[in-house]
Parts: sequence; C-alpha cells; structure tokens
Amino acid sequence: MKEREINNIHKLSIDDLTNEFMDNINEQNIMLIEGIEHLIEEDFENFNKNLNIVIETRTEVEIKKTFEAKLFKSKKAAFTKADRLKLFAKINDLKNIGEFMANKMLLYKVVFPDDQFKTRIRSIIKSLKDISNKISEAVKSIGPDLEHAHKICEEVKEERRKMRKKEWDLLNRLWNYDMDYLSRTFLYLKEFIEDIMMMADHIKNFAEYIQFLTTKYLIFK
Amino acid sequence: MEDLSSLIVIVLIFLAFFLSFSIGGNDETPAPLAATGTLKFNTVLIIGGLGLTIGTIFLSEEVASTVGAKFLGPTVDYTIYMLLSVLISAIIWLIVGSFSGIPLSSTHSLFGSIFGVVITYLLVNPGLDPAGAFNLSKLSSLVIGWFVSPLVGFFLTVILYKIIAIVFLNKLKGLNQIENLETIFSLALLIAVFGVSVYTGANSGEAIGIIYALFDGNYINFGGYWFGKVLLGLFAFLGLFIAGRYVIKNLATQTTDARPSDGFIIQLVVFIVLFVVTPMGIPISHSHVIVFCIIGLNAGKRQEVDYKGLGKMALFWVLTFPIAAIAGGLIYFGFYTNGLI
Repeated sequence: MKEREINNIHKLSIDDLTNEFMDNINEQNIMLIEGIEHLIEEDFENFNKNLNIVIETRTEVEIKKTFEAKLFKSKKAAFTKADRLKLFAKINDLKNIGEFMANKMLLYKVVFPDDQFKTRIRSIIKSLKDISNKISEAVKSIGPDLEHAHKICEEVKEERRKMRKKEWDLLNRLWNYDMDYLSRTFLYLKEFIEDIMMMADHIKNFAEYIQFLTTKYLIFK
Repeated sequence: MEDLSSLIVIVLIFLAFFLSFSIGGNDETPAPLAATGTLKFNTVLIIGGLGLTIGTIFLSEEVASTVGAKFLGPTVDYTIYMLLSVLISAIIWLIVGSFSGIPLSSTHSLFGSIFGVVITYLLVNPGLDPAGAFNLSKLSSLVIGWFVSPLVGFFLTVILYKIIAIVFLNKLKGLNQIENLETIFSLALLIAVFGVSVYTGANSGEAIGIIYALFDGNYINFGGYWFGKVLLGLFAFLGLFIAGRYVIKNLATQTTDARPSDGFIIQLVVFIVLFVVTPMGIPISHSHVIVFCIIGLNAGKRQEVDYKGLGKMALFWVLTFPIAAIAGGLIYFGFYTNGLI
C-alpha cells in the first residue's frame, strides 16, 4: 500500500488529498480481493497477510484529518464544500466496508465446496476489482473531465447489474449443496457473498452520486 | 400656521431620511457577492453601501426631478400636505411589503400614492383643469418603463446566458476548469454589483424626490437640497449596513450553491437596464427586473419556473399602484376634512 510521509500529506491540496485517499482505499480493496483469491487457493498464510493489511489503518486517518481541516478553512468555490465532504465520506465508507469484510473473513478458514463454486467466486471478485478500479478513475476524473466520470459510472452500474446475476447463481448453488444442517461453511459463504455484494452496492451508489455531481455541475451541457 | 408648515417640512425631511434608510435596508443587490464568499461580509456591505451613496448623491438628479416636479402637470404643484400624504402612504406599503415577504415595488407605491393624492386634490378643488394635472408624456414613459424594463431584463438575460454558455460554459470539461472560470466571474461580479448599487441609489427616487419637491417648492434652498442629498446618501449607506445585512445574509445563505457566473449575468443585465433608464429620469422597480432576470436565467438553462409563486407576486405588483393610490388619496382627504389644508 502506498505510504506517504505525514509532512507530504499536509502539503497536498484538497483535490490531491481526495485523489490520494481514493488511491489508498482502492489499493486496500485490491488487497482484499487478492486476499480472497488466496483463500480460494487455500493459501491461508497470504490470505491472513493480505487481510491484516486491509484492517491496518495507516495514512488514511491522517489524510482524512488534513482534508477536513483544509476544507473548513478553504474559501467557497464552485465545487461546494458540502459536495466535497460527501464525496470524501463516500470513499471513507468503502474503507469501512473493506475493513468490516476483512475482519469477518478472518473469523474462520473456509474451504470452498467445489471448483464450480470457486470459478464463480473468481468471476464475481473480478467484477468487484473492475468496478473498484473504475470508481477510483471516476473520482479522479471529476476535476479534469466530468463527462468522462459520468461515462465510467455508467459502466460501473452496468457491471454491478451483471454481478447481481452472478450473486443469485452462487446463492442458488450454495443453497442446493448437500448440507442438511446449518454448517459454519454454509453461513460463512452465504455472508461472504452478501458482503461482496454490499461492497458492490456501495460502489454503485457512489457511482450514482458522482453522476449526480456531473449533472449538477455540467448544467449547460 | 407658518410654524406648523415649518414643522411639517422638518417632519418630511426626517421621513425622507427614514425612507432612504429603509431603501438601503431593503437593498439585496450585494447578496450574490456575499454568497460567493470571495470577500468578507462587512466588505461586501461597504461596497454595496458606497455604491448606493455615490448613486444617491451624484446621479439621482433626473429621477429626483421626475418624482419631485416633472411628474405633475401645470395645474398642480406639490404642497407639503400632499408630500406628507404621499410619504405616509408609501411607507405604509413598504412596511406591508416587508411583512408579506414579497418584493413589492416602492417606486410603484410612491407613484400610486402621488396619483391618488393628486386625484383627491382635484376632487376637493373642482375648479382645476384635470387634463393638466399630470405630465402625460412623463406618465406614459413611466408606465412603459415599468412594463418594458422587466421584459427587457428577461430577454437580455436569456441572450446573455446563451452567449456566455456558448463562449465559455459549454467548453468546460471538468470541475477544475469550472472553478477557474467561476473565480474570474467572482471578480466580474464584484464590479457588476458595485455598478448596480450605484444605479440603484441613482434610480431610487422616493426619498430624494421628496427633497427635490421641497426645493422646487422653495421650502428649502439649493444648499439645503444638496446637504439633504448627502445625508440621504449616508442614510442609505447606514440602512444597508445596519438593517440590510440581515436581508443580504439571509439571501446569501439560501443561495450558497449559486454560481458567480449566474450572479454576474443577472447583475450585468440589471445594470444595463438601470444605466439606460436612469438618465431618462424613469424610476423603475429594480426588484421586478431582478425577478424577471432570474426567470430568464432559468428559461435559458431550461429549468423549472415557479409559476405559482410568480402569479402571487404578479398579483401584488398589479395591486400596488391602485392600493397606494387609494391610501394616499384617503390620507390626503383626512388632512382636508380635518381642516389642515
């Protein structure tokens, strides 16, 4: 994960802090997704390593504090303080969901039922990785190109729609395994799928918020 | 009786000062500048107040002469009781406007009051020729000005918005560019707001018109007239700085999302309208012009217009003149029936 000196963070502008924060959180998401891949491969050592990095909070808190301090001191601008704050809060929510997922996943070392299930999980986390990268790109496009940000968000929403179908396929498979009692594996996997979709849903809501911003600020288009 | 006349002249002068204070207190011109947050709030008030003062002292002559003399025909000259009736009626309507929360025109109420008082004057003096009571060319130019100025404001805003959208706004891609452009518009807005403040002072003939009428009727001399103008300018400044701050703060808080470019377009159009009509001696309602400019801006952006609110406002606008006329006439009739005239 990208590490910056505390002093360097203080020198950054509000826009740079937002982008830096987005980069950090996206890297955290990627680390989480790679952790899931290790879990699929039953490489528990690297799984633990990745997820512990996700839980660890390093520069994020400092970036958040610096951002808030700078925002309240800053002069009013076209991109309102309220909108900037909400954008930042949406990024922060991504971090919270990632941390929540990591903590939950570390509670138990699950073994996936079969290769079909593994393939489908790989497919859904590939989509998650894709929309995570895209939302990061959309946030960074707000400054230079709002229309581009709008377009990327549309792609995010489309990918999330595909993920919903994958989710039902996975759940359908899970519910039809031969498990006649409420096993830990069943519970773990059910909540694991739901948590992946919780993250995807948040990214979709975030994309809609960015589209709201583009509509608000590109009123003359 | 002469002592009473002198006393009424003093009362009129004080009422004119009060009116000037309330003109400043109701002036919302600097609100868009306050909303941008570019300058400190007190600096915004000082800029607006200075504009009003300069306009009142140096550029209000034509409008003052319309209110104070040229509006009337050869048959009628102002008396102090007529002026007192006009002022009381106009102030009452101004207070009603403040409580109703609707931007009523003090200009329309002033001329409505004058109209009512003059009609009553003719009724109680049957020998006078009604045809010569008003300067008909001035009256017609006033009425035309009242109807045309908001419409000009509307169309000019639509055109100006389209031009600015084509030249600047449509080319913007990201928020960085928008922010840079809006910073430039903030500076342009500062200049436009100052210009509008100057011409608001110059076009608000209510108070200065009374002082002019007193000068025209030889109740005060030329030195007194100029001293009165300076004091009216100062009262307008104090009105804006002391009372107007609440109106401006309230409006600025409600419009924090407003773009400096929007504010600039509206203020520039209002400035153009005031700049044209003021030297012609036509006092207009600049709040009417602003409302139509806002509608024009929404129309230019193809945004929704609150027609219900607009209808309510239009009703008050139409009613202002006749109600003020009836009020002014009744007050003057009250003085007459009590043997004061």
